[in-house]
Amino acid sequence: MDENTAKPRSLLGKSFKQFKKNKLAVAGLIMIILIMLLGLLAPVLALSDPIMPQLEHRLEPGFWVGNYTNLFGTDELGRDVLARVIYGTRISLKVGYIVIAITAVFGTLLGIISAYYGKLADLLLMRVTDIFLSFPPLLLVLAVVAVLGTGLEKAMLAISIIYVPQMARIVRGSVLTVKELPYIEASRALGAKDHTIIFGHILPNVLAPTVVYLTLLLADAILYTAALGFLGVGIDPSTPEWGAMLSSGRNYLLLGDWWVTLFPGLMIILSVLSFNLFGDGLREALDPKMDD
Amino acid sequence: MSIRNYIIKRLFTVIPTLIGVSILVFLMINLIPGDPAQAMLYPKGTPAEIAALRHKLGLDLPLVKQYINWVINVAHFDFGYSVRSGEKVISVIANRIPATIELSLTALIIAVFAGIPLGVIAARKKNSFIDYTAISVSLLGVSIPVFWLGLMLIFLFSVTLGLLPVSGRIAMGSSLTDHTGFYLLDAMITGNLPALMDALKHLILPAVSLATIPLALIVRVTRSSMLEVLSQDYMRTAKAKGIPMRRVIYRHALKNALIPVLTVIGIQLGTLMGGAILTETVFSWPGIGMLVVSAISNRDYPIIQGIVFLVALVMIVVNLLVDIIYAYIDPRITY
Repeated sequence: MDENTAKPRSLLGKSFKQFKKNKLAVAGLIMIILIMLLGLLAPVLALSDPIMPQLEHRLEPGFWVGNYTNLFGTDELGRDVLARVIYGTRISLKVGYIVIAITAVFGTLLGIISAYYGKLADLLLMRVTDIFLSFPPLLLVLAVVAVLGTGLEKAMLAISIIYVPQMARIVRGSVLTVKELPYIEASRALGAKDHTIIFGHILPNVLAPTVVYLTLLLADAILYTAALGFLGVGIDPSTPEWGAMLSSGRNYLLLGDWWVTLFPGLMIILSVLSFNLFGDGLREALDPKMDD
Repeated sequence: MSIRNYIIKRLFTVIPTLIGVSILVFLMINLIPGDPAQAMLYPKGTPAEIAALRHKLGLDLPLVKQYINWVINVAHFDFGYSVRSGEKVISVIANRIPATIELSLTALIIAVFAGIPLGVIAARKKNSFIDYTAISVSLLGVSIPVFWLGLMLIFLFSVTLGLLPVSGRIAMGSSLTDHTGFYLLDAMITGNLPALMDALKHLILPAVSLATIPLALIVRVTRSSMLEVLSQDYMRTAKAKGIPMRRVIYRHALKNALIPVLTVIGIQLGTLMGGAILTETVFSWPGIGMLVVSAISNRDYPIIQGIVFLVALVMIVVNLLVDIIYAYIDPRITY
């Protein structure tokens, strides 16, 4: 077919084609779907109760010694490690999604206001984000938890506090680039209102970098949730949360019972890796410079 | 704008940040839901004790007055007293700082010495085995929780192989005399070889675990920045002039490729600090990371405030220095 008559492809179509070429990113996406299914189907897939202690089955090894009732063995309270790992998916994904939702809404809003209206709003936002970015992220999370107290909801809020300023800066940067483009000026010349320009023209253009960044933040948020669980400051220890499982398994690891810590850790790596691979793939696919 | 003007301007941006950080850290105590004095004494504390603590912390004064007092004290490095032990906050923290610096610095050295060569070789031999190794290291490094890695290393090297100690900085009853708080340095000054070996054995697993965090980023940034530099025109010129490849790489390319790496190391300081909190908890390494975690469980707010403020101060200064160094070594940047 002649190049001039070739069917024009949409940005989405082009990006999808670019994305499909990246095998690691596709693998990441497939793993993400599987992990989500695992979380959704937890009540069906997990064969035993993840919270109820069964003290007569304490620290039993799993499939490697032919134990097919508890494939990943049992923990110090006799609970099935596999069931807890499966239920842990729900907690990590839930925290991740909520944190990302808070970050997306507030980060985008602040970034757009700051870049679009400039002047005082911009100065204020930049200085305030400077302040938040001066703290090591984990230390900031811990300080917020120290003030608010422990609990899953408070942990989510604490983790969001580190991401909103970062997100606001990313969005601000992209809006500043888009804002000066001729078509925005044209639209303003035609008498478009601020909100039409912001929601109709600017927002769609900053969507790509925002989505990429949020995917990578989701990976990071899973790590922070696990870190809080491990430090024993975010989450109630009886909750089947991957980090909390590592923390309670530590003492038994020293006695040689490795399965209580190995499997939750592998699950953290798998989910964080999946979102990282997917996010990197998205970034390459959506980057206009990568156009073939 | 000249470099001097840029530096002066950059110095001024530090002032509002410092004020903001101090307000935020100061407000920590006042933001605690309910009565902070009661929270700190929880679960004990009679009404009289609570009132006494409130008075001692100055919580009965107006907020602005409290802040001014706090800033004046902090300017003298006075963060008050630990609610639990009654010791001066600054001396509790000062005792723990050498352990954290020893750990973080060793981790950073490991990451730089492993990461930069790996990144350079990966860029030179794109799509080779080493390149794939470098890519995997940078991907896994950001996906493996450092605390889990630490636990697995303990299981392998301490529990199973029995080669290295499980936790702490030095064996119980060691003959090491503490001068500086830096055990490696103390052992070297006093010529205590057994203590040096012992301290090194304790240091190796925590340092390797913590090193994976900066390592991942150093490899990634070195590789991509080296690839970019190698494609520049002046690299072709250097090659065309007949300069040996080794020299082109290490004299011409690496020097320019290291600029972004330097920035990354500066930016990574915060993440490294976070990693140190987790690593110290895994290995019972008595640094400020372990201190802050125990202070949170003990609701020892003056300690938390002291650590958060001092660490933020260090971060602000390091970022300032990185920006200034950056301005000097990269003449292409105009401000």
